[in-house]
Amino acid sequence: MNMKEYSRQGDEAGSAETAVTLSVNGEMHQLRISPNVVLLDALRDRLGLTGTKKGCDHGQCGACTVHLDGQAINSCLKLAVMCEGHEVTTVEGLANDAGLHPVQQAFLEHDAYQCGFCTPGQMMSATALLEDERIGTDDAAVREAMSGNICRCGAYKNILAAIQTARGQGQAAPTAGKTS
Amino acid sequence: MDTQVIGHRTPRVDGEFKLTGRADYTVDWQAQNMLYGYPVPASIAHGTLEKLHLDTARAMPGVVDIFHHGHFPKLYRSPNSPTHQDQVSEVRLPFEDERIHYDGQYIALVVAESFEQARAAAHAVHADYRRESGAIASLLDTDREGRLLASEGASRGDPEKAFDEAPVKIDHTYHIAAESHMQMEVHATLAEWRDERLIVHESSQGVVYQHKAMARIFGLPDESVEVVSHYIGSGFGNKLFMWPHAVATAGAAQMLGRPVKTILSRQQDMESGGNRPASRQRLRLAADPDGRLVSMRHDSTTETSFVHRYVDSLGSATPSLYACDNVAISQRLLEVHHGTPCPMRAPGETSGIHALETALDELAVELEMDPLELRRRNYADQDPASELPWSSKHLDDCYTSAAKRFGWERRDPAPGAMRDGDEIIGWGMATASWPALRMPCAARVELRDDGSVMAACGTQDIGTGTYTIVAQTVAELSGVPLKDIEVRLGESTLPAGPLSGGSMVTATALPAVAAALRNAFDALKEVATGEGGAFEGSDPESLEIEGGALKDDQGKRVSFGEMLTQQKLGSVNGEGQAAPGDEKGQYSFRSFGAHFVEVRWDPGISRLRVARVVSSIDIGRAINPSAARNQVEGSIVMGIGMALTEKLDYDPRDARLINNNYADYIVPCHADMPEIGVELLDNPDYAFNEFGARGVGEIGLTGIAAAIGNAVYHATGKRIRDLPITLEKVMDT
Ligand code: FES
Ligand code: FES
Repeated sequence: MNMKEYSRQGDEAGSAETAVTLSVNGEMHQLRISPNVVLLDALRDRLGLTGTKKGCDHGQCGACTVHLDGQAINSCLKLAVMCEGHEVTTVEGLANDAGLHPVQQAFLEHDAYQCGFCTPGQMMSATALLEDERIGTDDAAVREAMSGNICRCGAYKNILAAIQTARGQGQAAPTAGKTS
Repeated sequence: MDTQVIGHRTPRVDGEFKLTGRADYTVDWQAQNMLYGYPVPASIAHGTLEKLHLDTARAMPGVVDIFHHGHFPKLYRSPNSPTHQDQVSEVRLPFEDERIHYDGQYIALVVAESFEQARAAAHAVHADYRRESGAIASLLDTDREGRLLASEGASRGDPEKAFDEAPVKIDHTYHIAAESHMQMEVHATLAEWRDERLIVHESSQGVVYQHKAMARIFGLPDESVEVVSHYIGSGFGNKLFMWPHAVATAGAAQMLGRPVKTILSRQQDMESGGNRPASRQRLRLAADPDGRLVSMRHDSTTETSFVHRYVDSLGSATPSLYACDNVAISQRLLEVHHGTPCPMRAPGETSGIHALETALDELAVELEMDPLELRRRNYADQDPASELPWSSKHLDDCYTSAAKRFGWERRDPAPGAMRDGDEIIGWGMATASWPALRMPCAARVELRDDGSVMAACGTQDIGTGTYTIVAQTVAELSGVPLKDIEVRLGESTLPAGPLSGGSMVTATALPAVAAALRNAFDALKEVATGEGGAFEGSDPESLEIEGGALKDDQGKRVSFGEMLTQQKLGSVNGEGQAAPGDEKGQYSFRSFGAHFVEVRWDPGISRLRVARVVSSIDIGRAINPSAARNQVEGSIVMGIGMALTEKLDYDPRDARLINNNYADYIVPCHADMPEIGVELLDNPDYAFNEFGARGVGEIGLTGIAAAIGNAVYHATGKRIRDLPITLEKVMDT
């Protein structure tokens, strides 16, 4: 396990920083952050994990979707300090040494993106829904389940095709909960 | 041209970067010792800033400085010249004076050590204003006509007389609400000064333009600026020209001697980062009893702000689309108190063609004629505006093919006549069109000793697939596999390339890349035939390029890499330029297509859905058919939003933007998706460029909202002349 220490300049004015340990893609990170730092900004600005994107900062677009213990969440709506003791998986945790995750591979083959900015969020929602037995396997169910992820480029048709292709291609659970 | 790579479906060469989170978008960049900027927007739309209360914010943790009028470097305005490529989105400089011209105009920029600290302090800044009454919220809320623009008018024949004498006519006015681009990556700037040089990372559709504008604004020689934009979280026109946040950020970085990164909030992006202007259009069309158009008049008004003159040219397609002897277009411009409009995907013509194609549907009803038949009867075999032949026009094939795939011949023309259970089915169609544009461009290609090839051009890939088509071009002409080709874009210090706009990058950049590659081949042949070369003494002309190697007529082959290695050379380079030639005076260049749409209206629960879209589009040759199709499909999705939900809502009382976020400004989501069937015809347009491509980023958006509106009429018998067609309009009118 690789421990990294990050910290920001202390606040002379006294806004308290809190120590928090985040487990991201199987790696532990110790941070000192103020309590109002959301998980999204902790990942991007503190840990340099910039694959997770910010589209709205308000839980309205889905670009920031990550997994928390295998569940898709909007990381802009989650305070980082609340994530201690949980396993965070980001887009950087999808591929492994064997290559791209089946969902990534299917996105590549189906051209399921244009600008690529919504794409990490789309794929994190997709990997979660493929593991979620409550969500039907037909196109309408997938469209409904993916409706929290806006794609302004409008690549929805190809996103749907990619998800349905990845289904049943031995889509392994992402590294959530596992240590690499 | 028989091709191996061009014209074949190709996964994006930058795909893996985007899919693994490694693509470096502007917002992802960090610099050593970097600070965060957070703008403070005005909370009134019309008046004067009297006092800023900064003490609380200044004392907050991490705050380094707060910039505002009176505390900001003295800068120059950019000349804002398209010719000199220093065009900007807003000529007014940030903090130039204390006048407030729109809601969201920056009144200060807080700079702090962290994003959270900058944001918190920005929220703690308070302002006293002297408000003025009479703010004009939108063109939709006023009868003001604006001023007539002489530059935008055009006419032929005598449309007034022809209209008066014609037996069948319509005269209607159409409104379209202002729209937001809602590109997923908001505007962002990271500015850094290094040894008197300004280095800017910007989410930009035009690094060359921003480079020049920054140089003019900061009074720097061009050599002292660099603008970088490797990956762009899209931009649908609002990132073509620089906005004030970039100037504010660069100015702050200069004063503080530290890099500053400013990422707008979504709210700020929507208020002050560009919009498609609202429009009012009066269409007067007249036809003879056989449906031949005898008169077309298209009079438009669009918005601009009080700080910048932006003209969305609504009537520009109208004189070219149909054969008609008597045509007039005019345009007016009205200043309003909201953020400055700018180009948005297929600017001007998206709005103009919407009104024209809706009006034609109304005329078809008057004529009791099938709307497709009406368009066929007025088919323009040459460009009626320029009287030049089309370089390549296959709109008739688009009509035939799309109508057949859609099943148009089964349409019962009576409104509301087609039903399926509780749902009423409506079928509508419209023509799509966008001009084929091409600009001068430069590029550089490097053949390297490891056998790889690098191609560089100062244009951008905004998601349209430019990285991939440049690589395809190199692969096609060199025989080097895609995996060994590196493409560099999005840096203003590379050979100057075009804006990622106007659907012009394909036709503009690929010929320049090809020219550079051919020059690199010549350099390689010189090496090969020179002293000690593998083909020493041979005539360079006799050597051919094949599969990444040089080959002579004896069958001898030496790969590029081998040749360079033998000669102890790291690389050979070729620079190339390409520009449109005299074909411009010989042909008219334009793409065409047709959209057919099915909507379903369930009056019991007032549900209106787009159920099916079938489109055939002729863009010449698609270099990468999968990415090209994706562009058209994405345009259709955006068109569904334009037709049914998208509207920037400015409060008529104070001109403030009400719905400045993704929840209240409604763009299509996945569950809104209809069945979409896009066909790209393949008719290479070699009169336009050697690859036969006319570009594809915008045409799909033209006509789609009209096709939807026409389908809504067919389902409900209600003609909604104002976009978006929200449910209450279908229920009430
Ligand atoms: S950034 Fe979190 S939902 Fe948009
Ligand atoms: S790919 Fe651009 S927003 Fe989805």
